[in-house]
Amino acid sequence: MRIYAIAVYLFLYVPIGIIVLFSFNAGNHASELRGLSVQWYGKALSNPFVGDAFITSLVIALTVAVLSSLMGTAAALALQRLKGRMRVLFDGLIFVSVMIPGIVIGIATLVALVTVFDFLNPILASIWPEGSQAPKLHMGYASVIAAHTLFTMSLVIIMVRARIAGMDRALIEASMDLYATPWRTFYQVTLPQIYPAILAGFLLSFTFSFDDFIISFFVAGPNTTLPIYIFSSIRRGITPEVNAIGTMVLVGSLILLMTAQYLMRERDKTK
Amino acid sequence: MKEQSKSNRWLTAVLLTPTGLWFAFMLVLPLIVILVFSFGERAPVGGYAGGFTLEHYANLGARLKAFTNTLTYAPVGTLLSLLVAYPLAYYLAIKVNRRYKLILLVLVIVPFWTSLLIRTYAWIYILGGKGLPSILDWIGFEGVRLINTPGAVLMGIVYGYLPLMVFPIYVSLEKLNKSYLEASSDLGASPYKTFMQVTLPLSMPGVATGCMLVFILLMGEFLIPAFLGGGKVFFIGNALVDLFLQSRNWPFGSAISITLVVIMLITVSLYMRMTMRNSKTGVDESLM
Repeated sequence: MRIYAIAVYLFLYVPIGIIVLFSFNAGNHASELRGLSVQWYGKALSNPFVGDAFITSLVIALTVAVLSSLMGTAAALALQRLKGRMRVLFDGLIFVSVMIPGIVIGIATLVALVTVFDFLNPILASIWPEGSQAPKLHMGYASVIAAHTLFTMSLVIIMVRARIAGMDRALIEASMDLYATPWRTFYQVTLPQIYPAILAGFLLSFTFSFDDFIISFFVAGPNTTLPIYIFSSIRRGITPEVNAIGTMVLVGSLILLMTAQYLMRERDKTK
Repeated sequence: MKEQSKSNRWLTAVLLTPTGLWFAFMLVLPLIVILVFSFGERAPVGGYAGGFTLEHYANLGARLKAFTNTLTYAPVGTLLSLLVAYPLAYYLAIKVNRRYKLILLVLVIVPFWTSLLIRTYAWIYILGGKGLPSILDWIGFEGVRLINTPGAVLMGIVYGYLPLMVFPIYVSLEKLNKSYLEASSDLGASPYKTFMQVTLPLSMPGVATGCMLVFILLMGEFLIPAFLGGGKVFFIGNALVDLFLQSRNWPFGSAISITLVVIMLITVSLYMRMTMRNSKTGVDESLM
C-alpha cells in the first residue's frame, strides 16, 4: 500500500521535476542537459511577449475571480429562497453551464459575438456623429472575461450553496429574534459562515481563468494570454524558455495556494 | 408582513439579475446561435451563410472517428483514473499516519492547481524520442515509439485528471465511520469482505462524483490528444478546433458542437439517475 502510494507520488511529481530541471539548462537544446544556468529565466523575463501575456492573463483572471465571487455569492443567497419554476430554470442553467465542455463555450461565444458585432458595428457607425471615429466592437479582454465568468460563476454558486446548506439556520433566526436588521444579520452571521466557500471559489475561479487555454484560444481575438503563448511556443518547437516560464507559473500557483492556506488558518486562530 | 415579503422578493430579483443576464447572453444566446448555424450553409470564403439544410447532420459520419475515439477514450480514461486513484484515496483516508495526512493530501491537490497545459507538455519530453525511448534503446528495446500512441494519450489522461478523481473519493472515505470497519472485522468478516461490503458501497458517492467530473472534462478534451496523440489519436475537441480555426466550416462545426452537447446531456443525466437509484446516495453535490 505504502509502496503504491510512493509510486503514485513519483508519477505525479517526476514530470514536474523534469520541467524544473530542464529550465536550468545551460545548453540551447530543449532535450539535452548541458550544465546548469539561469539564462533562460533571464531570456523569459526580458521577452516582452511573455511579460505582456502574463499581464493580460493576470488582469483577466483577477477580474473573473472578483466578478464570479460577487455574482455567484449573490445568486447562491437568492436561490436558497427562490422556489417554483424560476428555481428549476436557474438550477438547469447552472447544470448546463458547468457540464458543457469549455471548447463548446469557446466556439459558441466566438460565433455569437462575431455575429452580434457584425450586426451592431454598422449601426454604431451610422448613428455616430460625423467626423469622429465610431467605436468598433471586437473580441478581446471583455469576451474572455465574460466566457470564463459563465463557468466560474456557476462553480461559486455550487460551492457557496453547499456551504449554506450546511449552515446553522438557528443562528440566523436568533439574530432576527434579537432585532438585528437583515443587513446586520447577513454581515455578522451569514457572511462569516460562508466566507471560506467564497474564498475557495475566488481562488478556483482565478486559477481556472489563469490556466484556461481552450476558451481563450477561441475568444481572445488579438490578445495573447500566457497559456496561448506557451501553447504556440510548444507548437513552434520546445525550448528551455518554455520550461522556465512553466516553472515560474508553477511556483506562482504554489505561493498562491500556500498564502490562501495561511490566511484561512490565521482566521481560524482569531476565532 | 406583506410589506416585508414584497421587499424580500425585490432583493431576490436584484441579487439574481446579474447571473440571469450572464446566463442569457453568454449561454442561452450562444447556444441558440450555433443551433441556427448548424442548419445553415457554409459561405464560399468560410464562415456562415443563411439557409436551412440538414446536410451537416447527415454528414457527421465524415468525422465519425473523432466521435468514436472520444466515446471510447473518455470512459476508458475515466475508469483507468479511478483504478489508479482509489487505492491512493483509500491509503490517504484510512491507512496513513495522521501526522503526514495533511501534507500528503496537499501534495495530491497541488498538481490540480497548476496548469494542465504545462503538465501535459512535460510528457512530450518523457515520451518523446530523447526521453524514455532512448533509455529503452540503451537497455536493448530498440525503436520503441511511445509518443503519438493511444497509450500516450491514456497516460496523459490519468496523469492530468488523477487529482480530480482522488479528492472526492478521499472525502467520502474520510467521512466513513471507522467503527463500521471495526464492527465488520469483529464480526469475523475477512478484510476483503469488509472492503467489498462496507467500505466500497459507502464510498460510492465519491466514486460517482469523481467519475462524473473526469468524464465531463474528457468529453471536451483538446490538449492531451493534441500534444500526446499527434494527429493519430484525436477527439471531438481537436476536430472542432480544425473546423473553426483552419477550414472555417462554421455550420459543420456547429452541428458537431450541438451533437456533442446532446450526447453529454443524455449520458450525464442517465448516469446521474443510475447512480442515484443504485446507491440511494447519488452524486454528492457538496463534493463538487
